[in-house]
Amino acid sequence: MGKYTKGQSHVHPAWRWVSERGLRVPTGDATLACYGTLVAQDFPEIEDVIPADGSLLLVLRRGGFVSAALAALLTSPLTDVPVPGGRLHEIAVEYGGTAGPDLPVVADLAGMDAAAYITRHSDADYSVAFLGFQPGFPYLRGLPGALQTPRRASPRVRVAAGSVAVGGVYTGIYPAAGPGGWHIIGRTAAVLFDPQRDAPALMMPGDRVRFVPQ
Amino acid sequence: MIEVLRAGLCDLVMDQGRPGLGGLGVPVGGAADPAALAAANRLTGNDAAAAGLEIALQGPTLRFPQGGVVALTGARFVAIRSSGAAVPWNETLVLAAGETLRLDHAETGCRCWLAVRGGLAVPMLLGSGSTFLPAGFGGLEGRALQTGDRLTFGTGAGDMHLLRAHLPPCEADAPLRVVAGPQVDLFDDAGLAAFFGGCYQVGAASDRRGLRLSGPAVTHAKADLPSQGVLPGAVQIPPDGQPILLGWDGPVTGGYPVVAGVIAADWPRLAQLKPGNRVRFVTIELEAARELATAQWDIGDIA
Repeated sequence: MGKYTKGQSHVHPAWRWVSERGLRVPTGDATLACYGTLVAQDFPEIEDVIPADGSLLLVLRRGGFVSAALAALLTSPLTDVPVPGGRLHEIAVEYGGTAGPDLPVVADLAGMDAAAYITRHSDADYSVAFLGFQPGFPYLRGLPGALQTPRRASPRVRVAAGSVAVGGVYTGIYPAAGPGGWHIIGRTAAVLFDPQRDAPALMMPGDRVRFVPQ
Repeated sequence: MIEVLRAGLCDLVMDQGRPGLGGLGVPVGGAADPAALAAANRLTGNDAAAAGLEIALQGPTLRFPQGGVVALTGARFVAIRSSGAAVPWNETLVLAAGETLRLDHAETGCRCWLAVRGGLAVPMLLGSGSTFLPAGFGGLEGRALQTGDRLTFGTGAGDMHLLRAHLPPCEADAPLRVVAGPQVDLFDDAGLAAFFGGCYQVGAASDRRGLRLSGPAVTHAKADLPSQGVLPGAVQIPPDGQPILLGWDGPVTGGYPVVAGVIAADWPRLAQLKPGNRVRFVTIELEAARELATAQWDIGDIA
């Protein structure tokens, strides 16, 4: 593989290019603080910033490059930066039955009955780590360890809008109907994403979430 | 106005998309070859950002009750006008009142773009008129065109000229150029040799969210990766080793390792791939990829 070069980290040893326009920067626990700072500073070379699990993807404009000012910000420690979001959402959920067909499976995997699983899931405090997969899909951190399960071996072709699901260390809510690989444990009537709203996404990174069994 | 006498396989209202909303989980979307739609717009006197139609594989039959000034770019489709006149690509085309334009199957490639003078009048959602099928919004009611639909034209086009566009040169059969992905270290030599030495077929389950490729399995360490931001052109490798090449409407985050990313200069070629096509990949240095200028369409008066 002589032609295949791994020399792509000339900007910073820990940074990785996803393509020639996408720079992945590990941010660890400071992801949201760093995201807030970048969005607020409005660097002209940046078209978009996509927060994820412990990293940010900086999408550069065509022909854009990482300026010295941007590189300096990304390499400086972020302290006392306000984190965006912080609203509390109480989400009413119909657990189990046709609304949550995988509840028996994940309860069994967790070694508890469905009622105990619902109690554990709805007693926990969650925070929105980032949005992804679909517009407005919140990746919620805070799922108790006992409830964490691998994703389904084969994804469902169609998951109903509002489905509350667990996948890996996360719980989340599908904003729109479509294919999905997480275990579906319930459903909410909350509208997670509406492009006609002033704030299209119901939940933003940093927001807090509690599930309320119906 | 356009009356859709017969809808095609997947006719979508598209413009230049919605950049800058990845943080909300919204991909850029928009025309699969934005430069081709922009060129069609210029041929009709529109601003490059105007909305037109993206037509894939099997086109629609469209009637223009009041006529119209239109332009077609991208893949050539078998096309017939009710007047019997020719249907040129890459040129300003004037349709008489009541004329019908029938687009049949794509002769080569997958997608073409139809611009109409004034642009298609659709509501702007999140700054764009583009259809986003995965969440059902944008364009015409968030869906593909259906038989019986009516599309109205906007206003605000510039001066009217008869123009012809010359495509940027494109090597259709050359390997797709990629830069190394962020998880290249997870792939062993056998996996990388498979990916860069192999030939991959575009699968039937491919759409604007992504192209499913089948070919030599790209072996890698089955690491449990945290979700990371991804872009169109990213080549994800799920556990079965069969690559998924993310498209324009693909997710903005993903948890599979990314072996490589197709460079932006080659995204227009992704737009023309259809099930059954075969692709190969070749690496290009990051700096070389960044120096590749955006392919330029050369547009001038018809002599």
